[in-house]
Amino acid sequence: MLLTFSDEQVCALLPAFLHIDQKLKITAMGPGIPKHLPEVQIGMALADAFDILNYDVTQFFKAVSDIKPLQLVSKCGKVNLFGAALIHDGGYLLAVRFAMSDQMLASGDLHLSDFGHADPVIQSTLLIALQRAMLDDAQATAVELAHERKRGEELLDRMSRIAGYMAHDFNNLLSIIKLNTDRLLRSFGSDDRISNLANIIQVTAARGSDITQSLMTISQQRTDTLSPIGIDDIVRENSAFLVSVAGAGIDLIFDLQAGDRKSVISYNGFLNCIINLLINAREAMPQGGRINLSTSVSRGLVGSTSNDHALHAGEFIAIRIADNGTGLNESLLSRAFEPLFSSKPNGSGLGLASVRDFAVDMGGDVWLESQAGEGATVYLHLPVAEGATSTATIPELTAAPEQHAQVPGKKSILLVEDEPYALEALLEMLEGEGYAVTPCSTADQAMRALEQNAYHLLLSDIVMPGQNGTDIARQACAGQPSIKVILMSGYVPDSASLQPGWMFLRKPMDSGELLTLISNAV
Amino acid sequence: MYGMIHRAVRQMIHDQLGEEAWQALEKKLDIGPTELLTAMVYDDELTFRIVGEASARLNLSVDECLFAFGQYWIKYAESGSLASIMNFTGATLASFIDNLDRLHLAVGAAMPGARLPNFTMLEHDTGRIVVEYRSERTGMDQFVSGLFHGLMLKFHTKGSVTILSRTDGALVFEILYQDED
Repeated sequence: MLLTFSDEQVCALLPAFLHIDQKLKITAMGPGIPKHLPEVQIGMALADAFDILNYDVTQFFKAVSDIKPLQLVSKCGKVNLFGAALIHDGGYLLAVRFAMSDQMLASGDLHLSDFGHADPVIQSTLLIALQRAMLDDAQATAVELAHERKRGEELLDRMSRIAGYMAHDFNNLLSIIKLNTDRLLRSFGSDDRISNLANIIQVTAARGSDITQSLMTISQQRTDTLSPIGIDDIVRENSAFLVSVAGAGIDLIFDLQAGDRKSVISYNGFLNCIINLLINAREAMPQGGRINLSTSVSRGLVGSTSNDHALHAGEFIAIRIADNGTGLNESLLSRAFEPLFSSKPNGSGLGLASVRDFAVDMGGDVWLESQAGEGATVYLHLPVAEGATSTATIPELTAAPEQHAQVPGKKSILLVEDEPYALEALLEMLEGEGYAVTPCSTADQAMRALEQNAYHLLLSDIVMPGQNGTDIARQACAGQPSIKVILMSGYVPDSASLQPGWMFLRKPMDSGELLTLISNAV
Repeated sequence: MYGMIHRAVRQMIHDQLGEEAWQALEKKLDIGPTELLTAMVYDDELTFRIVGEASARLNLSVDECLFAFGQYWIKYAESGSLASIMNFTGATLASFIDNLDRLHLAVGAAMPGARLPNFTMLEHDTGRIVVEYRSERTGMDQFVSGLFHGLMLKFHTKGSVTILSRTDGALVFEILYQDED
């Protein structure tokens, strides 16, 4: 098959071609050569215009076969050509094209017209350039999406905080209404009409409280109360439910020996821990088995890996959950409490991590013992609330008492509340119950009172102008280690700001619950 | 159309009306970054909704907006991630238009599903180009006209673009141009 092309056709197919005669002089060239190398002229020796990279120029054409690969570089160094040399028309056709590179593309020196129409380099070059462009845009989009997500999170966070602040303020108002309605009932409860109206206000305030609770749930705030609770009582009250959590085919055996020992914890938080631990045990025994849930009282954290030496003193309620399931090998055991780590295919990795967070928040610890094939035992230790086991003593006073001095035979309470109507109602209620109460409406007053008197109990609001209630409590405990602390707020504080043993009541409070808590504490 | 067109519309709105105007447009059309993925091919209906909303905000008719966008597209492409491709496609107005089909071949390979137009140069004399535009889409006359005007600006020329004829699926444009002083 013989193909013949016109000069125009050759130029269209190979815009950078060269034709040389047997003396190696250039006899013809495509339009791309003078465009990019104007110094190259017809009649010029090839060796004066180009270097042949892959052959010795003097030998190349002597040995040339019908077709031979060829790579040329212009003497000025800026143009690379590659292709093949062909014996043609008493000379040689150098069917070469421009070598494309990233630099050439970026420089804008070469254009599509410098390449033949059928040149596959064009498609691949454009394709690569387009993909790079798309990659750049994809990166920009990823950044935009990340910003968008961050903006959404910030907005949600802002909304959440606003919801929290609103809930706090509303709870404070409800608390004033509730405390003063209780006061009304105490003073005039014998009058049926007043009693009925007061009850209507109470019920309405309770409904308002439900709304704030929902608001706090939406804003992802804790809504639980921290109070001394008997661990055995919680387990006993929920035993039927816990048996169903353990599941059919598993014997859940209770051995509760903690007696009336209490720990200052959140009821729901503790129950969640036990549920998480039972679910773990159940999943380790797909064929059924046995779980022992036992409680006892121990001194220190025997077996804990915690380095916090303060934790190793004092009394703890020891909760032990042991199963006879598959157990964990050493490497799984070392990562068991790691957040988002799970040995189960569909595990969230949050169960044990949340148990540990709870235990640490409550001033205790949790650890795990296991061997592959021999079951696992979880030890959850929570500090015993001091008030539940011993009677607090009042240290010797060094300064003369000021206002509301200690009254012999009466338990003393330092009451701090910046809302005057709430302060008034609480003062009246506590004094009516026989406590010696020092009312303070600011942190400064409270600090002065603490310097001058010793108290059995600090009952303080948390959110106040200046120092907040947790600061007062911290300083009160530092100066009077035996003082009991009950904090109250419409805004549930981060557990990290509370010390183990401190009690917490969410506003609006139930007067009966508050009085019981105080009575148990002192 | 593909997402890079949407990105360009967004940039045009940003440039002319500010970021908030684009955010308002996104909110009204219920779209976001996921409708701006460069290589993603979207339904034309979405693109026309965006252009329609953009035209209202720019206080232009849809045709005027398409023309303005065609012109803007050239500026957008040559200053962004497509700059090297735009430079590579041609060094002159005529060579650029002549090479558009070759460029679109590569675009088609990179973005399967994109429905790309064809441009055939029918005549080329000094200061005059006659080019046939074929597309499955209709109603893009002003956009293409805007593209040619954008190209004239890119190559530092000025002139006019007129439609010489319309047949089924094809439009023939005449571009008369001269170098800027």
